Amino acid sequence: MNGARRAVGLVLAAVLLAGVVVAVVVSRAGSGAGDGGRDLTVLRGIAGSEKKPFFDDPAVVEAFREAGYRVEVDYAGSRDIVAQVNKDPKAYDFAFPSGAPQGDQIAQDTRGRSYVPFFSPMAIGTFRKLADLLVANKLAKKISDSYYQLDMAKYLDLVEQNRRWSQLDGNTVFPTDKSVLITSTDLRTSNSAAMYLALLSYVANKNDIVADQTTAATIAGQLKPAFTKQGYTESSTEGPFEDYLRGGMGARPMVMIYEAQFLAAQAAKTTASGMVLMYPTPTAYSKHTLVGLSAGGQALGELLTGNATLLKLAARHGFRTDDRSYASAFARENGIPEPPELVDVVDPPTYELMEKMITDIAGRAGS
Amino acid sequence: MSIRVRLGALVVALTAAVTLPACSGGEPPLADGAGPKTTLTVLAGSELKDVEPMLADLRHDTGVKLDVTYTGTLDGADRISRRQAGTDLAWFSSDRYLRLLPGGADAAVTSTSIMRSPVVLGVRQSVARKLGWSGNPNVTWKDVAAAARAGKLRYGMTNPASSNSGFSALVGVAAALAGTADALTSADIRPAELTDFFSGQRLTAGSSGYLNDAYVDRQDSLDAMINYESVLLSLNASNRLREPLELIFPKDGIITADYPLLLLDPARRDAYRRVVDWLRSPATQQRLQEQTSRRPATPTVPLDTRFTAGDTHVELPFPGTAAVADELILAYLNHFRAPTHAIFVLDLSGSMEGDRISDLRSALIGLTGADSSLTARFTSFRAREKITLVPFDSGVNRISDFAVTDPSPDSPELKELRRAVEGFNAGGDTAIYSALRAAYDRAAADLARDGSYYTSVVLLTDGENTTGASADDFLAHYRSLSPAARAVPTFTVLFGDADPDALRQIADVTGGTVFDAGSTSLPDVFKDIRGYQ
Repeated sequence: MNGARRAVGLVLAAVLLAGVVVAVVVSRAGSGAGDGGRDLTVLRGIAGSEKKPFFDDPAVVEAFREAGYRVEVDYAGSRDIVAQVNKDPKAYDFAFPSGAPQGDQIAQDTRGRSYVPFFSPMAIGTFRKLADLLVANKLAKKISDSYYQLDMAKYLDLVEQNRRWSQLDGNTVFPTDKSVLITSTDLRTSNSAAMYLALLSYVANKNDIVADQTTAATIAGQLKPAFTKQGYTESSTEGPFEDYLRGGMGARPMVMIYEAQFLAAQAAKTTASGMVLMYPTPTAYSKHTLVGLSAGGQALGELLTGNATLLKLAARHGFRTDDRSYASAFARENGIPEPPELVDVVDPPTYELMEKMITDIAGRAGS
Repeated sequence: MSIRVRLGALVVALTAAVTLPACSGGEPPLADGAGPKTTLTVLAGSELKDVEPMLADLRHDTGVKLDVTYTGTLDGADRISRRQAGTDLAWFSSDRYLRLLPGGADAAVTSTSIMRSPVVLGVRQSVARKLGWSGNPNVTWKDVAAAARAGKLRYGMTNPASSNSGFSALVGVAAALAGTADALTSADIRPAELTDFFSGQRLTAGSSGYLNDAYVDRQDSLDAMINYESVLLSLNASNRLREPLELIFPKDGIITADYPLLLLDPARRDAYRRVVDWLRSPATQQRLQEQTSRRPATPTVPLDTRFTAGDTHVELPFPGTAAVADELILAYLNHFRAPTHAIFVLDLSGSMEGDRISDLRSALIGLTGADSSLTARFTSFRAREKITLVPFDSGVNRISDFAVTDPSPDSPELKELRRAVEGFNAGGDTAIYSALRAAYDRAAADLARDGSYYTSVVLLTDGENTTGASADDFLAHYRSLSPAARAVPTFTVLFGDADPDALRQIADVTGGTVFDAGSTSLPDVFKDIRGYQ
């Protein structure tokens, strides 16, 4: 009875609250951008789609509001962002691609200031059974119960030798004739595939960053099978990651993703118990780079890099920030084993050289 | 008892109170929190018609009304890649083929998967038991090919050139039979094995929906059907089958459709978002699962018990280039599948004079390779195809046959066919049933000589039967034919002042379907029909 009464009270409170919210929304809509007398500055940006959950997060919207901003974002692939900003630099207050090469290129094109509020290492979503099999075959190492590392030099050898899962020693868990192959996205449209190429190019170039056109051409030729053997690839990282979460081991045994996607899915309890994260060694960071294209855009860059609430919220979406304590706290609160420190991290080649390798391997977008 | 009545009355009163305002206005009101009222136009695959009953709620909850036009997968991909879809969104079972086409990769601003359904094999329970496949997780596509070659498995599958389920099956089977570990290349295509596999195909269709109905009609002479898991599950639940279909997920792999909703017009991003958020909300995902038997796309909604867990289902790689996909489709049409015999029964009566007969000429000539569009590449006459023209007016004029060995537009046989069509002249009365009877007699005689042909009839008329045999005469004659001849479907084309009821009856009796040339141009209707031939 008591419980029921409390439930009624809660419902009533909710109804009242909803009424208040509606009233507030209506009054705000009525007075334009007004916010209880205070005007919000509207900032328009273009960003990679993996940041949509962050910008949609009501707590993030509230933090922006408190700082006096309303942020409106269009989403596009990172390479597309470069093209759009190049075409019309005045259309947006900020650009926020998910990779440093694209961010640097935009900063160079527009002389805008760039900020890196958060970043995420490239990682491989896989399954404990498969990770253990790779460890037994001396291709991977176990860091902890939930985290592994894949030796990318050895992986490239496997790709070159067309090694199949059924040819791995002691494989009783996944006896399929499919190649041992990481699923990535479409190089022509997606940043995560480009970051994957960046780290592979470092390994293929004998642990050195590709720094000239000739080397880029050679390395692209060498790495082509890692992409073409996949056949059709999807346009954005959400696609293969959902296939992995939904379709399981048979659909996507290993999928190249951002660490943030996996952590956010773990927190949302959408991962299954056998799913683990395996870091490529070396890995690369997807550095979410905000370039201010107007004074407002720059102010947003300052806010995102300096505001503790926003940094904490970024960690809640699985991103890493310079201050590791946010990510640690997020992991603890969600019962997720803390992601490891990564030492072996390489920088991608310049935007221009990345473009060359991508075009060599996959052709131009729209072709 | 009285309480129950009173409660019932109360419910009625409440319902009335709630629904009354809805009736007073023109359109029903929107939910609190719905966004601004707007309409999005959508070009969609016909397999998505089953989502239509939910669109009123979508509008109520989000303010977005979807205005949907349906077309085939390939035609849709063709139009979108050429930026000629003319709609804000597109929604097909897959956008993979689109993304392989020139201009297709960046045709959509963004794309979001809404639900999933793998293309699998449904086998009649008794046949599955006989073949040792019942409950057996180790069946491969190779086993299926062997059973087909041995004549132990007769199945239906849609045409890969017009429907995504057939295309997925073709691509998957080709990859599985190649035994390669990676995406298929031209060098991996195995013609002998694929010909074995497709020797079992006894029913084709231009859409998965028609395939489903045609399978029901012929369930006693077929053993299996390749279709979406969702279609097979719904059919099993429908009480239309004398024997349920056991779903086989071949061990070497399957291809899953993911139903992406594509945004084509960047200016409609906000409304698109509202639609996607609604479709991917847990409540809608659950409803899609229950009502359409498709698997949810979002990982938060658990699979219900009808679905087997996916861990053991290997997903086959899809080709990475349009060249490989096209080569496969053309090889299927020209080499792998059973040879085809297309009989055209064509009304040349006086009323066809003028635009009508010239429409007819260009529609037929389009199929000889004169039309160079993407859809025409896969709808033109094929190698090993027999074409029989049965022109009629007051009676059957002259039946002529053309055997295609070389499907290129300049081959002597296609040139001759074009000449014959160009010579069509209108005049006289309309002897529909006499002509149809002549067509079936020809089909019966040919099938008695060589039963390997996949035979179908197209009947085009622009009026009512005015002379010769009656409908009843024809039906009696049809029933007296051999089972092989009775299995020949007639696809009727509603043209000009044709009698819809008469054409519907002919299609129903013979297992065909009616195509309306009132809403679609005649060349497009003929291309659609090619998916069924």
